[in-house]
Amino acid sequence: MALPKRIIKETERLMAEPVPGISAIPHEDNLRYFDVEIHGPASSPYEGGIFKLELFLPEDYPMTAPKIRFLTKIFHPNVDKLGRICLDVLKNNWSPALQIRTILLSIQALLGAPNPDDPLADDVAKHWKADEQAAIEKAREWTRTYAQPQPQPAS
Amino acid sequence: MDFRSSQEPPVKKRRFFHEQGEQASSDPIAFSPRDDSPQVHKERPLGEEIDGEPENRQVLVERSANETPTRVRTQPPAQLQHESSSVTFDKDTFEAFVGANVSSDVISIIQAHCGGNLERAVNMYFDGTYKKLQKPPSLGTLIRPQPSSQNSPTTTPNSETPPPTRQDVPRERYLGAFGAEGWATCSGTNLLKHGDIVRIERQVAQTSAAKSKSRQIQARKTDVLVRFTTQQGREIGRLQRDTSAWVSVLIDQKLCRFDAVCVYAPERLRTNETVFLQLKCHFLNSAFQRRGFKLADDRSTRPFEQEETTDEKNLRLRQTAMVRLFQEVNLQPTVANEKASEGRKGLLKAAEMDEKKQKEAQKAEKPSDSTPPSEEEGQELEQDQLDALYKKAQSFDFNTPEAEPADTFAMTLRTYQKQALHWMMAKEKDERSSREPSMHPLWEEYVWPTKDVDDNDLPLFSGKEKFYVNPYSGDLTLDFPEQEQHCLGGILADEMGLGKTIQMLSLIHSHRSEVARQASLTGISDVNQLPRLGANASGVLDAPCTTLVIAPMSLLAQWQSESEKASKEGTMKIELYYGAEKSNNLQSLCAGGNVSRAPDIVITSYGIVLSEFSAIAARDGDKSWHKGIFSLKFFRVILDEAHHIKNRASKTAKACYDISASHRWVLTGTPIVNRLEDLFSLVRFLGVEPWNNFSFWRTFITVPFESGEFVRALDVVQTVLEPLVMRRTKDMRTPTGEPLVPLPPKQIDVVEIELSETERGVYDHIFTRAKRTFSQNLEAGTVFKAYTTIFAQLLRLRQSCCHPMLVRNREIAAEEEDVNAAADAATGLADDMDLDALLSHFTVAVEEASKDSNQTFGAHALKEIRDESEKECPLCFEEPMNDQLVTGCWHSACKKCILDYMRHETDRGEVPKCFNCREPLDKRDLFEVVRNEDDVDPETNKPRISLQRLGANTSSAKIVALLSHLRALRKEHPQMKSVIFSQFTSFLSLIEPVLTRANIKFLRLDGSMAQKARAAVLREFAEGQGFTVLLISLRAGGVGLNLTSAGRVFMMDPWWSFAVEAQAIDRVHRMGQESEVFVKRFVVKGSVEERMLRVQERKKFIATSLGMMSDEEKKMQRIEDIKELLS
Repeated sequence: MALPKRIIKETERLMAEPVPGISAIPHEDNLRYFDVEIHGPASSPYEGGIFKLELFLPEDYPMTAPKIRFLTKIFHPNVDKLGRICLDVLKNNWSPALQIRTILLSIQALLGAPNPDDPLADDVAKHWKADEQAAIEKAREWTRTYAQPQPQPAS
Repeated sequence: MDFRSSQEPPVKKRRFFHEQGEQASSDPIAFSPRDDSPQVHKERPLGEEIDGEPENRQVLVERSANETPTRVRTQPPAQLQHESSSVTFDKDTFEAFVGANVSSDVISIIQAHCGGNLERAVNMYFDGTYKKLQKPPSLGTLIRPQPSSQNSPTTTPNSETPPPTRQDVPRERYLGAFGAEGWATCSGTNLLKHGDIVRIERQVAQTSAAKSKSRQIQARKTDVLVRFTTQQGREIGRLQRDTSAWVSVLIDQKLCRFDAVCVYAPERLRTNETVFLQLKCHFLNSAFQRRGFKLADDRSTRPFEQEETTDEKNLRLRQTAMVRLFQEVNLQPTVANEKASEGRKGLLKAAEMDEKKQKEAQKAEKPSDSTPPSEEEGQELEQDQLDALYKKAQSFDFNTPEAEPADTFAMTLRTYQKQALHWMMAKEKDERSSREPSMHPLWEEYVWPTKDVDDNDLPLFSGKEKFYVNPYSGDLTLDFPEQEQHCLGGILADEMGLGKTIQMLSLIHSHRSEVARQASLTGISDVNQLPRLGANASGVLDAPCTTLVIAPMSLLAQWQSESEKASKEGTMKIELYYGAEKSNNLQSLCAGGNVSRAPDIVITSYGIVLSEFSAIAARDGDKSWHKGIFSLKFFRVILDEAHHIKNRASKTAKACYDISASHRWVLTGTPIVNRLEDLFSLVRFLGVEPWNNFSFWRTFITVPFESGEFVRALDVVQTVLEPLVMRRTKDMRTPTGEPLVPLPPKQIDVVEIELSETERGVYDHIFTRAKRTFSQNLEAGTVFKAYTTIFAQLLRLRQSCCHPMLVRNREIAAEEEDVNAAADAATGLADDMDLDALLSHFTVAVEEASKDSNQTFGAHALKEIRDESEKECPLCFEEPMNDQLVTGCWHSACKKCILDYMRHETDRGEVPKCFNCREPLDKRDLFEVVRNEDDVDPETNKPRISLQRLGANTSSAKIVALLSHLRALRKEHPQMKSVIFSQFTSFLSLIEPVLTRANIKFLRLDGSMAQKARAAVLREFAEGQGFTVLLISLRAGGVGLNLTSAGRVFMMDPWWSFAVEAQAIDRVHRMGQESEVFVKRFVVKGSVEERMLRVQERKKFIATSLGMMSDEEKKMQRIEDIKELLS
């Protein structure tokens, strides 16, 4: 099926005016599939880390939200072991007016402001609530361990 | 008598001779019978009789002038020898001529029989007639004249020797006899009895004669009275009018002399009693004086004749009289053109018609009847007759050879143009000089009778067994009428836009005269080398290199620029002969001595030609002072837009006829504007024998046509046109199916339509029922019986795809021919509650939507909404939005995007929320933005907008789609014209109000309209300005129409075969279309329409085999189709 104009335009714009700290590159053989890298926001436990994600635009995009998942291991209350993300705009608050760019910005923002009250990874959320400092330290450690620019085995 | 006026000097002598012989001629017996000659000369080849050399004639006449015909036969050769020693017989000269030694026996025989005439002697020697002379002559009367086909002219070796002089030409010669009635004008006893010889004379009109009623009628016309008298000169009576009408003409025009024998007369003759006579007709010598065709037109002496000229009238009288005469004496031509013999009937008919016309004119007796004949002659051609004619005349053979234009020609020709070039060059070069002379197609050959009516032998004249009659001109001659030179030009009648000008220019480049070629080869021009005509009598000089182009003034500049464009640098000298720059001595510019400097093309206007012609005419045809167009004989003359001379009586036409040129061409896209006579003028200009003779034209074409024999007349026109005309039309296709001039591309797209829910409900309902009916019948094997029912249901199904309301309208069933209206009842539509319920649901939905569409919005809000629409749609990123839709929370997006999204959310059980502010969305709170393109806000220079609640004009999904296409189109191409086809006129009626609301100008054309109204609509569509839509029913607009002013086509519904749709599309995509054509075919997704496309697709492949299917097979095929449609 031909790629909708919207996807083409979004891709073009992502290439032409990339968001600082975010890159999304479509696969050549599947233009609906993107390799995403998000730099951990400054003054967050994820600073200095480069997190790989995969993003897929389903058939009825933009009626439904893109499917997105962390590939890099990350210690975050809203991201589970499989890399799935708990974010309202990816679920019920999705609107077709949202775009890849806005979604990735939301994820970047989520890294800067973890929300343990609406957790996806319960153990991480507990840890976060019990001892936030230790949790942040662990997140930093994970970032150092797994989210370094040098290619490392992801999982 | 006009036909005498132009004869050579001998004419007078001839007349003198004629009078001298008068007393002797009254008795045919006076010609002393001659018994040795008949069989001798019978064998003589016809060719020897051909002459026409004035000197020969002179000799002949001089001699005959000094001899009484009665003496000719017995005259000893000696007397002749004094007069014309150059041709007298002596042995040495004879042998020198013959080129062999001839035995003295033979010489003596020949000498004895040649009458001392050398030519005859030579002829006798070569044709072998002298051998027969050795035997005692048999009875000449027993020898039947041989059909002249055996005597077909052959050029004998001695053809350089002058033909035999006609020392033996009789002053008059018996032609035949016929019975006639006369009535007595006096009474008395024994005035006349059987066997009495009676004289026939012309009666000069007398006032006393005009007494009887019949006389009065006659008196109004030309006087035609012929009386008969006793030999003493006493008038006995007059011939019946019927006979005298034509006899008088023959006498008046000095063609015949009549005498008569009384067959029966009452002993006591009373006035008004009938007398039976036998009239004997003798052709006078003067009848055979050659008049030539052109004199009939009398053009140079009376250039501005507006009505049928006296000559034309005389000619007409003469020709009909002649035909009557031959009919009465029952003389059949021995050789005649097949067509000609048919035409003789036509001649009489022509006469009848003229008479009728005259009578009618007299009855009316109004001065207004004196309108020039050019106005009333020639009925107008009906369009279909014209079409038929053109179709016949334009059977263009695509295999005709092509010719490459000369190197100097700077443009490339298309194939058909090269073919025209080949044809034109062939026409110009066809001198036909080498051909054997054949008899002119209009002439008939007759053999003089050898016995008179009483079975007495008639005098026979050597070498004069035959005479020739042209029943169309009424001409008679003793000379073999040779087919004259062919026209070295023609009519290029290609339709507008096929490049007539370019083709003509390629001819100018490719066929230059011999002189021009030599000049260009040697580069010098030696005056002495040139075949210089010098200042001959008419002062016309040769312009052997120049082509004269005559065009309407407005086209002069175009001709000039085109001819420059078409020529390589420096290969053509082009002279504009017009206006202030006009050279005042065209003659010195173009004539012979100036070849190297002469212009190749001289371009002038009809106006110039006319004014120069008028100037000459004003000086009574004196051309000595004239140095313009008429002082030259051009190599070629071309009339562009030649219908300018369609009226043969117009001065311009006459002026053009008078232009002298070796090659003559006319260019016109409309060789016939509305009368067949229009064509005559072109033919007249070209000088095509015999059709340039108006009388001939009348006889063969005008008269049959006016008397209703259209086919015959048009057939003749076709034979006239065929060799003359090259005509191609834009519609023509090469054998491989390509158009002559390639068309711009066309793009056909299928637009898939999504039915609204309510529409879908209606559709599904009908579909289920149709399918049920079909499968039931299929099971029961009664498909054929229920064929119409099934078909009607299919029709309803298709209609419901267009607009649910169509289904309600039961009249529609009659729209499709295949559908029996009775089937309508069978489907039981009327009492179907479900359908009605569904339909009313649909109606409610529409009505509800339109309720409060007048809701007002603040001007500011509207402005913002308008600006919004210029931006991209937040959902599909389309920029600008397609059919901007505004939510209740005033957020905009494409209509389709919003609706898709809302459906998507509803389908998964969610309440749709605004994509922007997440306010819940309500379908009833959506507003369409209507841009009033014609109503521009002067401040912002942008069109005003208004909001309309969604669904207010949602009559059907298809109409909505159409409208959005049209709106987008109007925005992009504000001048574009579109054509909308539908097979349902009632659907068109539903589209109309929607267009009105959207402020789109539309026109409508359907089968119910009168021809006139249609033409008006088509004209308005073609000529009108601005964004316009034409609604056409597929059936009314399928054929013939030319809608090339449109650039977009919308097919609202598919037809069973795509061919029909393609034909409709071709109304727009045809010759004359200048830009790419975009076609949108609206097809409802997941419906019978979509399946129809599949059937169409399949039919494309089996289309060829379809022709071989039997009806039964076709029906089976149809059922297969239906099965597929209802799958």
